[in-house]
Amino acid sequence: MHDGTHATAMDAHWGGGVSPFGAPWQKTMMWIFIITDGLLFSGLLCGYGFLRQASQLSWPKPGEVFSIPFIALMTFILITSSATMGSAVGAAKMDDRKAATRFLFLTILGGAAFLGCQAYEWTHLIHEGARLTSNPWSSPQFSACFFVLTGFHGSHVLSGLVILLITAIRTAMGKTPAQGVEMAGLYWHFADLVWVFIFTLFYLL
Amino acid sequence: MSEGAAHRSPYRIYWITWVILLVITVAMLGAEELHMPRLFLVLFLVAFMMVKATMIGGNFMHLRYEHRRMAFMVASGILLTSLILFFFISPESWHVRSLTSAPAPEPVGHVVE
Repeated sequence: MHDGTHATAMDAHWGGGVSPFGAPWQKTMMWIFIITDGLLFSGLLCGYGFLRQASQLSWPKPGEVFSIPFIALMTFILITSSATMGSAVGAAKMDDRKAATRFLFLTILGGAAFLGCQAYEWTHLIHEGARLTSNPWSSPQFSACFFVLTGFHGSHVLSGLVILLITAIRTAMGKTPAQGVEMAGLYWHFADLVWVFIFTLFYLL
Repeated sequence: MSEGAAHRSPYRIYWITWVILLVITVAMLGAEELHMPRLFLVLFLVAFMMVKATMIGGNFMHLRYEHRRMAFMVASGILLTSLILFFFISPESWHVRSLTSAPAPEPVGHVVE
């Protein structure tokens, strides 16, 4: 009977005892967290789009406010740190603790460099007169969007660095399994993923 | 598993993805210099943005190796919800812009002479 077969299939996947997503609960929960955090940035980016479209004043051209080569350098640093993070996960899965630790510290270095660049950019813009509620270029919402978007992203990068530092130390001590490195990697790649959207929608368009 | 696959470096996929992401980023930066119509530039940049996002999610985050149900959860959770949010908000922004750009209405009521 169809109903009996359907009920059996449902029980097999959702009846308990097995993961319906084919992954350990730690990975499933990490993905659920990433989805919710992704929705946070989705809301912020939609809000930015709304403010820009509704603004009476014209939005400044990004090249007139930012140094696009500098932003490109930041993007390069973050993408490279994602590659080193992936390599750390690969090494951890191969039980190569030394290589995993090395790649983790390289990722931390990249993340710290990115945050340093972000701090420089903030300092430069504040020096030019940009504030949360006003700026010398156009619509006041422009600088508000910039500080909120990059501020939220930067805070995620900072907390990612803390997670990576703890993971690197524990990996060096042999206390973190490969799955732990993978969880840290998922968070770090998420931070890179968000930057792809911010870089395109705020800095290029 | 074939011998070739067994000896393949575990890092290969990450660095190949890194190269592709950098090439796409350079292409996106170069698009600004082509002086194409604004609509084409937007479509070009958004399309490449989605390609980069897919590569990061699929290769770096290993989503392409996960169960189909997991990939569907992520795609519907983030992408579908974001699209719904975007398409509900966008018309409102045009409405607000039209309200603020319209001339102020004439005052209603008797004018005292």
